[in-house]
Amino acid sequence: MTEFALEGAALTRRFGGFVALDGVDIAVKRGEIRGLIGPNGAGKSTLIDVLSGRAKNRGGRVLLNGEDISELSSQQRRKRGMARSFQRTNIFPELTVEQQLRVASWAVADADIAEVMDELNLIALADLPAAEISYGDQRRLDLALALVGRPRVLLLDEPAAGLTTEESFSLARILRDLANRWNVTVLLVEHDMQVVFSICDRISVLHLGRSLSEGTCAEIRINPTVIAAYLGTEA
Amino acid sequence: MSTIAQGAVRPAKPRSDFAALAVLLAGAVALLTGFALPWIVPSKLAMSLLAQSLFDALLATSVGVLILQNGRVSFGQAAFSGLGGYAFGVLVARKLVGAEAALLIALLLPTLLAFLLGLVIARVSGVAHAMLTLAVGQAFYEIAFRWRELAKGDDGMSFDLPARIFGISSRSLQDPAIMLVLTWSILVVVLVGLTLFARSRTGMIAAAIRDNEERSRFLGFSTMVPRALVYAIAAFVAAISGVLQATYNGYIAPQMFHWTVSGFALIMAIIGGAKFIVGPAVGAVVLFYIKDFAGQVAEYWPAIVGGALVVVTLTMPQGIVGLARLLWLRRARR
Repeated sequence: MTEFALEGAALTRRFGGFVALDGVDIAVKRGEIRGLIGPNGAGKSTLIDVLSGRAKNRGGRVLLNGEDISELSSQQRRKRGMARSFQRTNIFPELTVEQQLRVASWAVADADIAEVMDELNLIALADLPAAEISYGDQRRLDLALALVGRPRVLLLDEPAAGLTTEESFSLARILRDLANRWNVTVLLVEHDMQVVFSICDRISVLHLGRSLSEGTCAEIRINPTVIAAYLGTEA
Repeated sequence: MSTIAQGAVRPAKPRSDFAALAVLLAGAVALLTGFALPWIVPSKLAMSLLAQSLFDALLATSVGVLILQNGRVSFGQAAFSGLGGYAFGVLVARKLVGAEAALLIALLLPTLLAFLLGLVIARVSGVAHAMLTLAVGQAFYEIAFRWRELAKGDDGMSFDLPARIFGISSRSLQDPAIMLVLTWSILVVVLVGLTLFARSRTGMIAAAIRDNEERSRFLGFSTMVPRALVYAIAAFVAAISGVLQATYNGYIAPQMFHWTVSGFALIMAIIGGAKFIVGPAVGAVVLFYIKDFAGQVAEYWPAIVGGALVVVTLTMPQGIVGLARLLWLRRARR
């Protein structure tokens, strides 16, 4: 079996004349937390969309644990163990926290929701409609929905967006801990560099729809190309 | 997993079982109340009016199910009540099949059609969806209106019921007291059934899809089939309304399909409270009597109905049942 849980090869995506992804390659090892960074418009969210099946790739292949899933729908990808969260909070506002996690569990062979509620501190909110809980709680619920059934690969699109520094680090700690214990492979798009550097094993950098660089956190911090294109001298 | 987590999450099932039991108990009480109605309602005319308001209640409930479970507004639900009534009336009048088989066909045909249509029209939402349902409803109206060989076109068609249906005397089915009890009982069973459906796995998935279709897909659900299933259930309820009307009146006419019938059913659902399963039925009965009263005192009675809708929309955004629930909760908090 391949050592990579998730691979994207020569992924291409165009919107009219604009090339959002231009032959991007990415390979994430099993159990790894991979950060995906780059300036706005670099193609990070498009890459997540193509990998998860939200957007059709116009070239290249997506492999999940060695299996070509390029032609599979998002539902089929979920059944094979790929889950994702979204840039904007994407929950079920009228269902209670417990109801929506229960619904999520039905899609993955009646998975246990108690463990997810416990890990993400959602138990006290179980009976509240999602629309009535705080933004920070909604972000944790969003993550919990993706984590139900212990997916093998988790694609996270700015999970800490809009959170306070304290909430962001709390979420990062939970993510790091769960990825280790549940052996989840994570591809994380995040603008908060402190979060990225604190939990990622490796980082991929995108710029103008192309792979700019890849390496460990330490390597990326001192990479002159990355500093020039994205991080700047403060990083 | 912590012990606290187990304790906090696991009680959900017994609580849910208790709620289901409470629904069944309430349904049983309502059914028993129905049998007392002929002694409570003062005259045959009043019974007849109430029975007709319950036909409307079934159609309004059908519209409400679409709003509650699918988040979709329909201006064409009369297509399915009309189709149920027409299928029953035509099959019985032409003696093509026995009355029992006609009844079955009249209920299943609109249900199946709505499921198939649902697979297509569930893909659109908002105004486009409303217009599509309007178009479907009016297409049926035009067919019934112009196809004279089917059921005498715009004149409508009277038909005689066979002597007995399911062993029940047909004449008794046209008796206001018996029809009132029958329709009440069917309405109660429908409301209990819909409540249990909303709490079921399929009902919850449909509600999740209503709330957020994209996320539902990314959780791994096919979003079309549950939506289409809700269309089918709604059409089944509408078809019951149409069959009961046709049976009671012994008459079918293209007006059964007209968009104004669908429009009034939607108004009933909004007045009663479309976010509650029982809301549309309450709205239907209330609006039926407002219509009846307004028709007696004013020639331009639709203006009074319109005024009532404006008042309810502005003062009771969740309808009569929503307001009642709000008052109940306030009282309970004191």
